[in-house]
Amino acid sequence: MIRNFRELWQYRALLWNLTQRELKARYRGSALGFLWTFLNPLLLMAVYGLVFGVIRRSDIQHYTYFIFVGLLPWLWFSSSVGTGASAISDRRDLLTKVRFPAQVLPATVVATNLANYLLTLPLMIALGGAAGIWPSWHVVMFPVVLFVQLVFTIGITFLISALNVAFRDLQQIVVNFLTLWFFVTPVLYRPDDIPASFRRIFLIANPMSVIITSYQGIFYEHRLPHWRALTVVTLGSFLLLWLAARVFEKRREEFAELI
Amino acid sequence: MDAIVLRNVTKEFRKNTIRREYTTFKSEIVQFLKQPRASEMPASVISAVRDVTLIVPRGRTVGLVGRNGSGKSTLLKLVTGIYRPTSGTVEVNGRISALLELGAGFHPDFSGRENIIVNGIILGMSRREIRERMDEIVAFSELGDFIDEPVRTYSSGMYARLAFSVATHVDPDLLIIDEILSVGDEHFARKSTAKMDEFRRAGKTILLVTHDLGTLQARCDEAAWLDAGVLKAYGDPAFVVSEYRQAVAESEVQAETTPGRVETPSHPVGRQPRTGPPAETGRRWGTFEAEIVSVRLRGSDGVERAVFTAEDDFQANVEVAADASLVDLTVEVSFLSQDGTLLWRDSHPLVSGGAAVATLTLNRLGLADGNYRIDVAVFAEQGRVCCDFQKGLHGFAVRSALPSAGLLRPLHQWSVHAAPPVKASV
Repeated sequence: MIRNFRELWQYRALLWNLTQRELKARYRGSALGFLWTFLNPLLLMAVYGLVFGVIRRSDIQHYTYFIFVGLLPWLWFSSSVGTGASAISDRRDLLTKVRFPAQVLPATVVATNLANYLLTLPLMIALGGAAGIWPSWHVVMFPVVLFVQLVFTIGITFLISALNVAFRDLQQIVVNFLTLWFFVTPVLYRPDDIPASFRRIFLIANPMSVIITSYQGIFYEHRLPHWRALTVVTLGSFLLLWLAARVFEKRREEFAELI
Repeated sequence: MDAIVLRNVTKEFRKNTIRREYTTFKSEIVQFLKQPRASEMPASVISAVRDVTLIVPRGRTVGLVGRNGSGKSTLLKLVTGIYRPTSGTVEVNGRISALLELGAGFHPDFSGRENIIVNGIILGMSRREIRERMDEIVAFSELGDFIDEPVRTYSSGMYARLAFSVATHVDPDLLIIDEILSVGDEHFARKSTAKMDEFRRAGKTILLVTHDLGTLQARCDEAAWLDAGVLKAYGDPAFVVSEYRQAVAESEVQAETTPGRVETPSHPVGRQPRTGPPAETGRRWGTFEAEIVSVRLRGSDGVERAVFTAEDDFQANVEVAADASLVDLTVEVSFLSQDGTLLWRDSHPLVSGGAAVATLTLNRLGLADGNYRIDVAVFAEQGRVCCDFQKGLHGFAVRSALPSAGLLRPLHQWSVHAAPPVKASV
């Protein structure tokens, strides 16, 4: 794991440039260009707002802002995992021709989506401001939650991108699984809305629900995240990252041959 | 210290990864349920590189030759570290820059300048180095204002020029080049060659794959010849190249014609025409009352061979079996160039009937480099009846390291005299 990240550090310039390039390339050629960074989550929020705020009237106050608080970090996570799955298997051009650490590729995907998330944060705050909700001192915990999610996301993305080289079915499975994962994570509803009998299992078995509810705590409820749950998720994320790095190291020799 | 040290390097690829491309969950489960590691049976393994030991001292330029699929690229990827050897060790000392493909990581929507940065980092430059060399790289590529246009608008020559410019400005200790020096137009090709010479003078180690044997002999200190993954020869380029050309020529002759001699099935020679010609249709015909049993080509030493030099003596033995009652038999031999141009045809009467061997001897072959065909025929009744015509079934190659072009290499002499008005100073 240490070697894995030391190489990543050595190639940070590449990571940085590829991330920049991805961000620029994403909307290059489109008329609205970079505005899509903001429009995409807004439109998605509008859809969920329409369904769960208007049609199936949710009793959550400032529902659109509430959705936004959870949806943005979720999009960071799901886009990273969804596109990260093929980050290595799609880059035959690079991996079979040049020697460089393959982990840069999934890391770039995570970094790009992180940048996207951070860029949309002002929009989220503005939206809260419009509803009269301003960030409180609890935002000091935001970097911590962000870091935990980063570790967790990198872990999953490394693992899946490495396995997808040999098992191409994985990227299809992941896309579908992410949809399920989204709906079992309290992004559109609050944990209290889950029937009490399986509330615990929903929250314990799903690290993302701890992370998402932590964001909601900070930005929406103005409270600190649950210490215990967040600590467990932190430790679990590091364990996952360690495991993912090991799998990655073990499999990287076959990347150039299999893609 | 040596720049590259390969010791007993073998690289095997599992065949199923080539045949079916990908493992799936299902295949993996099936694999798991079956005997473990069934896929590692020797039959399902392809060896791309076999037991290669190669030591390249620092500052040497080594050319790698071999036919397509002989493992050259795999070997380069092993040296670069893209592949890990199945067995053996690979040791590389120094910063390595590999040009296995031009423009690795180029993004079509970005400008040449933007792509230089990412490509440069991928090739191992730091951002500072790239910034420092940016102007130099742009100048070398000769792209002018195009440097700020998206790469997708480039012609393939421009694309290659940009990529080559970046790659050669990495300033490596060890440069690995896979058949890409031939990019761009004449002018750029010359520039690339000059750049390579500059590398050589600077004492860099270069390992290159090339099919241009002239380049190889002119620019390499050493040459290595790979055949089917095995290192066949290593050493002086002139020697390795001649060995390699000899082997290629031999296999070409073999592919173009059936092997040096055609053995016809043994059967009594009769008067009645046989049903169907014994060899390929269109390449052999006749009444087969008289048959060419074999055609053997030999050098002056009497050893059968398929490759000659222009200076070699040449001998063709044509073995004929004919019905004893046949009269006025002639044997005819034609020399043709590869495109079918007749160079020379000659015929000679045979002793009538029975079995005979006609031998045609040329003192000094006198042909220029190339592949040649020999048509052999036997006629009866003074050339009126064709008994056996073998077209394109035999051939040979001429390979000599002499500066001649064309078809012929007559016995000749050059002499140079000082022109009359020159003021003699001796």
